[in-house]
Amino acid sequence: MAKSPIIPSVSFPTASRLPAKKASKPSGIRRNSWWRLQGKEGVLFLLGIVLLWQFASSSIHFSGDYLFPSPAVTLKALWGSLPELLKDTWSSLLVLLPGYALAAVAGIVWGLVVGTIPWVSRMFSPFARFASPVPPTIYVPYAIAMLPTFRTAAGFVVFVGAFWPIFLNTAAGAASLPQRHRDNARILGLKPTEYLWRIVFPSSLPHIFSGMSVGLVFSFIMLTVAELFGASAGLGRFVQLYADYADYPRMVAGILYTGVVVMAAMELLEQIKRRSLFWIK
Amino acid sequence: MSALDTRPTNCTADAGLKVESLRFAYNGTPVLLDINLAIGEGEFVCLLGPSGCGKTTLLRLLAGLETPSSGHLSWKGRPITGPSLERGVVFQDYSLFQWMTLVNNITLALAKSHPGKDRKWRLNLAAEFLELVGLADAARKHPFELSGGMQQRGAIARTLAMGSPVLLMDEPFGALDPVNRGRLQNLVLDVWSDANPRKTVVFVTHDIEESLHLADRVVMLGSSPGRIIDELRVPFARPRVWRTLIRSPEFLSLRERIAERFREDTLQRIEAESVVGGDAEGI
Repeated sequence: MAKSPIIPSVSFPTASRLPAKKASKPSGIRRNSWWRLQGKEGVLFLLGIVLLWQFASSSIHFSGDYLFPSPAVTLKALWGSLPELLKDTWSSLLVLLPGYALAAVAGIVWGLVVGTIPWVSRMFSPFARFASPVPPTIYVPYAIAMLPTFRTAAGFVVFVGAFWPIFLNTAAGAASLPQRHRDNARILGLKPTEYLWRIVFPSSLPHIFSGMSVGLVFSFIMLTVAELFGASAGLGRFVQLYADYADYPRMVAGILYTGVVVMAAMELLEQIKRRSLFWIK
Repeated sequence: MSALDTRPTNCTADAGLKVESLRFAYNGTPVLLDINLAIGEGEFVCLLGPSGCGKTTLLRLLAGLETPSSGHLSWKGRPITGPSLERGVVFQDYSLFQWMTLVNNITLALAKSHPGKDRKWRLNLAAEFLELVGLADAARKHPFELSGGMQQRGAIARTLAMGSPVLLMDEPFGALDPVNRGRLQNLVLDVWSDANPRKTVVFVTHDIEESLHLADRVVMLGSSPGRIIDELRVPFARPRVWRTLIRSPEFLSLRERIAERFREDTLQRIEAESVVGGDAEGI
């Protein structure tokens, strides 16, 4: 069929066309475009923090200016140590990722089992109530003494730190499986493994993801604490090293850089969560 | 009272669904008391009663999702000891798994009900039943993309596709608007009367008109504790057309008589309670 000039005029404005039309409209309130920007409050607040930092570092004098470097000095230090920081990031991730991944798999599988089978829950819960509140940092010296290499020791404490939040949340999610899903699964006669994998696991995903994000924060805490103790590379070691050298601009840069890395990891997890939970309105 | 005092027709000893001197208590509180019920194969029975009369519990017992405190349930002479693919259930709140597409919800059920068949066969059968309930275009959608009525049609398609000879429906249209409810009632009646052999349907509702529209027989349950207070064979010829049905004097008088029967039961219960209360005051 030949294109008719009438068609565009009768077609409905699509979602993508509508705002474009609005934006192209000559507007007398031009200055509003900045104020309409989403998230401008956050940007302004960060800007305020940096200004305050600048002001504070230039007016307050500690014993030597190096203890409290200004934003510019810190930024310069950050730029200068970027190659080293990237190497340290890689070394940290090599410890963190296996520990975290192992904790996720173990925490999810065991959490689903404990949350689903009452006698397993009765068996394991008293132990979990005792073991899960132990601050995982307390294991660090012992793990370093016990395990043959620093990497296995740090990987172990990362695992312990991430396991409990993931396990506890997964078990809570599995235990709160809606009755109707349980009934439907029983009527379909699903085998235990099918039931866990196809019903309990997807239904518990919202809980699992909140456990995984708490676990991720914990695993970074564990990692950096372990690295403060005895690493030869890594983000925690970077900060510790330059604190020992009293090179505070680099140390502060290391702290900021670590914050960015953790934030990026959290954002990645958030994206995976959003994609996996598309079926929740 | 000729229509109302019809006792259950005596079915052949082992045919259909049977409930014998069934009692069910929850945490010591009696929920169902001395239930006797025989439902013939191919019969469409409505369990009618107010909220809290235990009609859903009775359905769950028939499904095998609950265990009776005492008494006996059977299908074709075999005792009901747990859920079975022979008895498909449609719940009021939507039975579909939200994380699967409509068609995957059905093929998961088919993998259990027809384990010998391959995936292609299951997909074809699923498509066939989605077509039957008018959801052919929505096969690849997830439940959150569908309206309540469409989800319920999907749940019905799943249960029908499994080929269970018994259909247990627990207020399946309770959450729907009147238009959708009417459509789905007709859908259920159509599939029920077209199927060969006919399915045995137990349909729980608190809506008198719905029960008169759908059922061969209405079983009335009274509350606290739940028990059968009366039964009624619905005399209307099939196929039933709602618009004509609702205007017929027989329909109106039956509806009124059922409502009256429930009022009577409520009054009797209140009287019984006030007598007990009077005694207590005397002490």
